[in-house]
Amino acid sequence: MSGKVQTSAATLAGERGAGNRTGEREGRSFWGAIAASQLYQTFSNALLSSPRRQFVILLAFPVLWVLTQHLGPMLQMFYVSFVDAYPVSRGYEQQFTFDNYARFFGSAIFVMPFFRTLAFAATLTLATLVLTYPVAYFLARHVKRSNQMVFLLLLLIPFWVGEIVRTYAIMILLGNNGAVNLALKWLGLIDRPIPFMYTGFSLSVGIIYLSALYMLLPLYSALEKLPRSYTEAAADLGAGPWTRFWKVTLPLSLEGISSGATLVFLISTGYYATPVLLGGPSTTVFAETIAGFFHTAGDEWPTGAAFACLMFVTALAISLAFGRLMTRLQKGVRK
Amino acid sequence: MKKLILNRRAFLGTAAATGATLASPAYLRRSYAAGGEVNIWTYANFVPDEFKEQFESETGIKVNVRLVDDQGKQFNLLAAEADNPTVDIMTVAGHRFLQFIDSDLLAPMDPTRLSNWGNINPVYSESDWSTINGNKWGAPILSGMEVFAYNTEVISPEEATTWDTLFSDKYAGQSAYVLQDMLSIVMLMKGYDGNMVAYLDDPEKAAAIVAEARDFLIEKKPLVRKYYDGGAEVQQMFINQDIVMACAWNGPIASLMSDGFPVAMSIPKQGSYGFVYTYNIANNAPNEDNAYTFLNAILASGEIGASMSRASGFISTYKDASQHLTDAEKASTSFPEEELANMRFFRAEANKMKYELVDPAVEEIKAA
Amino acid sequence: MTRHTRLVMSMIYWAFVLYIFVPLILMITMGFKDSKFIGFPIRSWTLDWYVEVFKDSEVLSAFGYSMLIGVSSTLISLVVGIWIAVLLNGRGFIGKGLIYGLTLLPALIPGIISAISFRIYAQLWGIPPGTGAIIWCHAVHNVPFVMLIVAARLSTLPKSHLDAAQDLGADPIIAFLRVTLPYLRPALIGGGIFCMLISFDDFVRSFFLGGYQPTLPVLIFAKLRSGMSPEINAIATVVLVLTGLLGIWAERTTRRMKQGKLQS
Repeated sequence: MSGKVQTSAATLAGERGAGNRTGEREGRSFWGAIAASQLYQTFSNALLSSPRRQFVILLAFPVLWVLTQHLGPMLQMFYVSFVDAYPVSRGYEQQFTFDNYARFFGSAIFVMPFFRTLAFAATLTLATLVLTYPVAYFLARHVKRSNQMVFLLLLLIPFWVGEIVRTYAIMILLGNNGAVNLALKWLGLIDRPIPFMYTGFSLSVGIIYLSALYMLLPLYSALEKLPRSYTEAAADLGAGPWTRFWKVTLPLSLEGISSGATLVFLISTGYYATPVLLGGPSTTVFAETIAGFFHTAGDEWPTGAAFACLMFVTALAISLAFGRLMTRLQKGVRK
Repeated sequence: MKKLILNRRAFLGTAAATGATLASPAYLRRSYAAGGEVNIWTYANFVPDEFKEQFESETGIKVNVRLVDDQGKQFNLLAAEADNPTVDIMTVAGHRFLQFIDSDLLAPMDPTRLSNWGNINPVYSESDWSTINGNKWGAPILSGMEVFAYNTEVISPEEATTWDTLFSDKYAGQSAYVLQDMLSIVMLMKGYDGNMVAYLDDPEKAAAIVAEARDFLIEKKPLVRKYYDGGAEVQQMFINQDIVMACAWNGPIASLMSDGFPVAMSIPKQGSYGFVYTYNIANNAPNEDNAYTFLNAILASGEIGASMSRASGFISTYKDASQHLTDAEKASTSFPEEELANMRFFRAEANKMKYELVDPAVEEIKAA
Repeated sequence: MTRHTRLVMSMIYWAFVLYIFVPLILMITMGFKDSKFIGFPIRSWTLDWYVEVFKDSEVLSAFGYSMLIGVSSTLISLVVGIWIAVLLNGRGFIGKGLIYGLTLLPALIPGIISAISFRIYAQLWGIPPGTGAIIWCHAVHNVPFVMLIVAARLSTLPKSHLDAAQDLGADPIIAFLRVTLPYLRPALIGGGIFCMLISFDDFVRSFFLGGYQPTLPVLIFAKLRSGMSPEINAIATVVLVLTGLLGIWAERTTRRMKQGKLQS
């Protein structure tokens, strides 16, 4: 069965990929001309003479890029996390130390927000997934293909106004004298306002708003490429809507779920402005703790860097484990 | 409300007009090598537009303003640029001097190069915090203070005479404060020196005091609505009626008052702290001479001070700035004498010890 | 799909649209409030804040500046991100996992830390703060997102396509340009919009790496210090309309280009 599905996917995608015939013909002559030109021939012969050389060229740039651009700043931070003073004042001898890490494990006041942030990020990731999945599904399956881009762009509009402006808008939505409370009062449902703001609730509303974007795009692109014929075939075989969803749609969109959830999880561990503005006295997140070390005294940078390293290593480990789990699930689907 | 807005517009008009009369006063007579530029890091509205244009056209020195939004970021930015700063003038709060000085980021200021230094009210320019290691480090421009801000429709002026109201069960869940600042004030409430200068020789006593203040704030944690950070936040909380009282800087509250919102402020009897924003010259500043020219120019008249005060809501440090303010503006930036007597300035001498105790205490209160 | 589930789906969709748009509508409304602060009640209305936005050349130039940074950094991120995704999609090699991990790095570092480490790193390389530094930092930060989105799409490209192209005599470069790139188009559009958004919304990196010209978020942060005034909402609304128009224009142009191609 699965073999058959695979081939039909290939043909389907093939048809879509081939595109319009007229364009095709014209394109071919253009590309043909390029491919046949002397200059290109020399160029490509030099570059692509052997698979090994092709691979080395393909590999060289990314390796160079990630080492200098991605790893460089990170190593700098790692280095700072092991010194006792940074930036160094004139005439001061920098010392190597583990104290910055010891400080984290030394007391519960840092460990608590750390785990709270992880748990909070995981919960919000799940909530965002549950909330945006139907939206992405609706977009990909029930909206006319030619309109999909417009509908998607429409959903992205609010994100152009920027995090701060959006967050203040949420404040005047949820405040004691905000839109929701005013509406409820007008309807006669309440006498005194419900304090929504500065609670876990207002914080979740703000963060899901931010994360929805990161979840929506990967989910949409995963669902969009899922051929309709699959579910139709399943329906022909007598599967109910739930069975079709569980057995066909969901497994085939695992790729999108995996990349969306990874993105949202990682990003939500680093949120700073929104928790500070929408959170309450008891919802301090770890990013706030880290930022504190950079904002206050100068000699706290190493501690901030050490805490950031801890957060980053943990978040990375969790998302790698998650990624592995998803790959295993996907393999299960392929079988 | 309409009227207030009209007034505000009218002020802008007069400010622009007076810009013209500012032309060629004393500060420009000394002719410097014209041209070049001066780079300034400061807050929005701290360099009035009219003044800037005037200065540029008179001296030929181009003014580059980079807007910043807090002290810590300026420090980080400058520390990252270290020995070769791109900046000439920064805006540091008086009690943050030490941190900048210790890291060698500021150049000592030479008031003899500023003929208009005398235009600053000596309360600020000659205050105890302003001289460190025998040097002046900045020119005071604006001042702010911690006040008890309250919604006048809910809280009476009598209740506003004491900080205790902020922690009363009667208004549970309707208060907000900045934790760092509140810790200093709680120390004051308990009869200690919130600057901790008095305990420099007695670290154990200092630790005990901070612990006492911390435990008090932990005990009162169920009563607070929000530990906030910025002035815009506390304004929004008042407007949204999420809170009815707060410990806040006077600037943001003054703006709320001038917009007609029913809010007032007081300096409670236990006292409160004030701070001063100063313009400072960076160590190794690329355009030092232009920086002095600029500073001398901006200190030239009370008119400029008034314009800065009006736009920011903070109190001008210029001797005769108040002559250029209307009564309504004065009301939102001044206090009765007996309240002002309770005011003291933040001081930096004990900052290292203080913040080593206070920063962990803040984390503990948040985590409690 | 039964009518029932379809109804539920569309209801959830519209609920989501409501959730997304209500704060937006509130924000736009407040831009017309005649007061120095946003919030209820609104006693009188005014257009003055809009007049101020257009009079204030700083806002419009900050918008243009943010656009410039967004577009340039997005282009760089797309090239690098696609390159890495293609590499990782190919055959296995030693260190593949390592490269994958390293690619994701910039997305993992909290904003403030990445900003400061980039600032120090830039100094190490002698890159002066300013436009170039911001573009560079945004580009690096966005590469992981492009890689993830492109990789998701790439993994579904049937291998038979590339094989067929090679059978027909195309070398890998031609095959990539003719087969892979067109297949990636939706991922590229998605990834591109995504990068633009992140770059456009970024405050902390632009602040630390920027010079004396503020990007839009940096300007808004500075204005916020004197209160959340309706002027900021008016700025945001103008930005919204401008980007909306740009988006429609871009969509129209690409559509017309496609049609033009068809006719010739």
